[in-house]
Amino acid sequence: MIMNETLALDVIGRRVEVNGHRATVRFSGIVPPVEGLWLGVEWDNPERGKHDGSYEGTVYFKCRHPTGGSFIRPNKVNFGVDFITAVKNRYVLQDEPEEDGKEQTLIGKKPVENVGFDSVKKWQSQLNKLEEICLMNCAVSCAGDKGEIANLCPNIRVLSLSKNLLSSWDEVINIADQLKRLESLTLSENKLKFPSGLQSLPGTFSTLKTLVLNRTGVTWSEVLRCASGWPVLEELYLNANDISISERPTDVLQMVKFLDLSSNRLIDENQLFLIAYLPRLEHLILSDIGISSIHFPDAKIGCKTSMFPSLQYLIVNDNQISQWSFINELDKLQSLHSLSCMRNPLTEGATGAETTRQWIIAKIGQLKTLNRCVILPEERRGAEIDYRKAFGNEWKKAGGHQNPEENRPNEEFTAAHPRYQLLCLKYGAPEDGEFKTQQPVLLKNQLLTLKIKCPNQLDQKVIEKQLPESMTIQKMKGLLSRLLKVPVSQLQVSYESPKMPGREIELENNQQSLQFYSVENGDCLLVRW
Amino acid sequence: MWCQGWNQGPQRECLSVHMGQAGVQLGDACWELFCLEHGIQPDGSVLDRAPQPLEEASVELGAGSVDSFFCETRAGKHVPRALFVDLEPTVIDGVRAGHHGALLHPEQLVSGKEDAANIYAQGHYSVGSQVIDLVLERLRKLAEQCSGLQGFLLFRSFGGGTGAGFAALLMERLRVEYDGKTKLEFSIYPGPRISTATVEPYNTVLTTHATLEAADCAFLLDNEALYGLCQRRLGIQRPSYPSLNRLAAQAVAAVTASLRFQGPLNVDLIEFQTNLVPYPRIHFPLTALAPLALEDKAYGEEPSVADITAACFHPSSQLVQCDPQLGKYMACCLFYRGDVAPKEVNAAIVAARSRRSIQFVDWCPTGFKVGISQHVPLGPPRGELAATRRALCMLGNSTAVSQAWARLDRKFDLMFAKRAFVHWYLREGMEEGEFSEAREDLAALERDYGEVGGGFSCHSRAQK
Repeated sequence: MIMNETLALDVIGRRVEVNGHRATVRFSGIVPPVEGLWLGVEWDNPERGKHDGSYEGTVYFKCRHPTGGSFIRPNKVNFGVDFITAVKNRYVLQDEPEEDGKEQTLIGKKPVENVGFDSVKKWQSQLNKLEEICLMNCAVSCAGDKGEIANLCPNIRVLSLSKNLLSSWDEVINIADQLKRLESLTLSENKLKFPSGLQSLPGTFSTLKTLVLNRTGVTWSEVLRCASGWPVLEELYLNANDISISERPTDVLQMVKFLDLSSNRLIDENQLFLIAYLPRLEHLILSDIGISSIHFPDAKIGCKTSMFPSLQYLIVNDNQISQWSFINELDKLQSLHSLSCMRNPLTEGATGAETTRQWIIAKIGQLKTLNRCVILPEERRGAEIDYRKAFGNEWKKAGGHQNPEENRPNEEFTAAHPRYQLLCLKYGAPEDGEFKTQQPVLLKNQLLTLKIKCPNQLDQKVIEKQLPESMTIQKMKGLLSRLLKVPVSQLQVSYESPKMPGREIELENNQQSLQFYSVENGDCLLVRW
Repeated sequence: MWCQGWNQGPQRECLSVHMGQAGVQLGDACWELFCLEHGIQPDGSVLDRAPQPLEEASVELGAGSVDSFFCETRAGKHVPRALFVDLEPTVIDGVRAGHHGALLHPEQLVSGKEDAANIYAQGHYSVGSQVIDLVLERLRKLAEQCSGLQGFLLFRSFGGGTGAGFAALLMERLRVEYDGKTKLEFSIYPGPRISTATVEPYNTVLTTHATLEAADCAFLLDNEALYGLCQRRLGIQRPSYPSLNRLAAQAVAAVTASLRFQGPLNVDLIEFQTNLVPYPRIHFPLTALAPLALEDKAYGEEPSVADITAACFHPSSQLVQCDPQLGKYMACCLFYRGDVAPKEVNAAIVAARSRRSIQFVDWCPTGFKVGISQHVPLGPPRGELAATRRALCMLGNSTAVSQAWARLDRKFDLMFAKRAFVHWYLREGMEEGEFSEAREDLAALERDYGEVGGGFSCHSRAQK
């Protein structure tokens, strides 16, 4: 639809499309000194434009960004089509030169052979049988003539109208009102104006279960106002709308199971209290909202909160979570069994990924899936035991004790490790032996420096050698044999120790090791043949 | 007989055989998905589904149907036309006890007592030979339920003892006993990051040599590619076998969709060959799937036809790691499912092609074959992939697949030069000559690809 020179005034606020870019009309009129009619538009993409609505000093309209606006000739602007035209355009070929074999798509020199397309076209052209249609990016701006949709395609259950040119919720209602079976409606990236009065159109969305309003600019109050018309709504997507939750949904949204609030950076933890009592909410997406802490004040350490009673799946990726207290608080949720917590400072930090995963598992007892990986029972067991060991020292210092009578870890420790007591009950309190940081078992820690004397050979100098204490007598004799050039069978070895002067101990069992004979550092081997 | 076929006309049944741990576990994931797609409950009954599209359309769209994969008993229970075989019992026990264990008749689960220990020779000669006759007998029974058996779908890994050795044994016998029936393979090509056995290259080369003549078409599922897809696209940091199998099951479901539903392309096993296999040995098409990425897109958004077409032509969507830009296509089938308008398809293909060069061999007259099926694809259960309104599966026979063989052959050569681990095979009665012969055959395969593509593939020379 192309506008002619005489523009109606109601063009202001209309959604338009220019070469694939969507915008809102903010101004219509003359812009001196250039002749002719201009439309002033604010682009969806704030960098697409040339200015902010002012030209040579005069402000014609306002934009939110300095490069958000442009002036365009009306004939370059697409005001969109009505719903039925869009449907026919996409699904039904009308008045088009049909491919009769001569016109064929070529890729390079190879033809593209379409198999069975005629049947598909035939099926899709039976509009009244269509149940799921997608009109994404089809420039739909209005419902068209009243009743036309209900006549032509009344059976639609799933409808996607993303990236179109709808400008108001009223227009959406005009469409939806004719689709009595509508279950799922996607309206992303349509910048919709919402009516200020209370919505009371019974029946329009009586079957609607899924509603997607990503990037539509909707506010929370507008959502709540319209929500009374969505009695059975189960899934609500509100990604990237600059939403801040301003009020509690008291009689509305009570059936909602799935709520996507991602990329709404104005949400903070206090606002979350306002949605904490939605009775059926199972799946909550809070990615990329900039949250860093969470607190359930109604529950003490180790207790369950009454907030978010049905919440099973929580996604908090791409936030500012850096404290373990966040994870501790999540353990208070009654029904939580699946968590995604990726790309947060906590998980990207110095502690290794493996350890971080273990600690999250240990801190949230009923968690079954973390970051989309199922937690197997062995993994949980390993994680909990390692966690208990890792903080054993701290626990002791904080007043923990194996004896339950004397076990009184201080408040600070209990706050930081709420499940620690439970883990001690499950696996037993950590033993003191577990705290000792073991010396790494290096070979050099076990080498004995020994002197080798040959009492019968007066001209043989005393040799010093380092031998591992686990060396067998057999091997040692072999070494001595090579050293002293004497056959092994003739060697007799014993040792004396400065700790036991005068005593000589024979090393006669070839299978035993030096350690068996308690040979120690500084002792002296006596070799005779 | 536990299953009376309740025929409504000439059926074209496909029998699936799942061998070894990989084949059995992949089969578990696949049948779970098939049941979801056809509305079949764990007890075998069918949920009331929405009516199928236009009946007239079925004439043109080909007669794929649920009966090709499931056998309906008189009681209305749907039993998969499948046989699960493993040489040791634990994996099969898992299937028996699993979610869909009740679907299968006990005779459809065959397990031995001693496994093949990742050694081709044990699966093929010693241990496998004890079980082969039982397996063939069970297959005969399943085949008797069919009025018009088209052929077999064989699921196995290349790297395991049963998957490599026993599968080769079975396929040789099938060739003799069911001459004329098509055999399609879904083979798991070994990937280093999730591999458990060092000898996988040996098993792969030996089994490929043994089954090259027996199989008509083999779809390679590269564990490495699947692993990477799970990590990068699905955001799973440490993918486990169940994740890989669910993803691979999506591929299998996409490839077999035309066999199970009314569809335009590849409606029977023979058509797979006609469309995709120009020479008998060059039968390893590349599979690519879209959409697979869900972490990038905001929830509630669906990719458009243009998006999934572009994605499919990108090497990162492929289920075999190789670069098609270094090769030439001999055939390419694009199979769209779901809400796809014909108008958008051609535009999308042209747009995708302009971004990546797609070269065809000179001697092949047809280029792309494109088909659309109305049936909306299902995501796997447990929500790793959300269900989308449309999906695309690309099957392309490209000479670039020889890169996968070259990689494998190099690994084989490194080990065989030192005769490392070879004694495990010799102990079971194999000879070194078999290794050399198999390796020669793979070298010849690489040369074949090179010739067919006009010298574009890289190949390694067999080492003595």
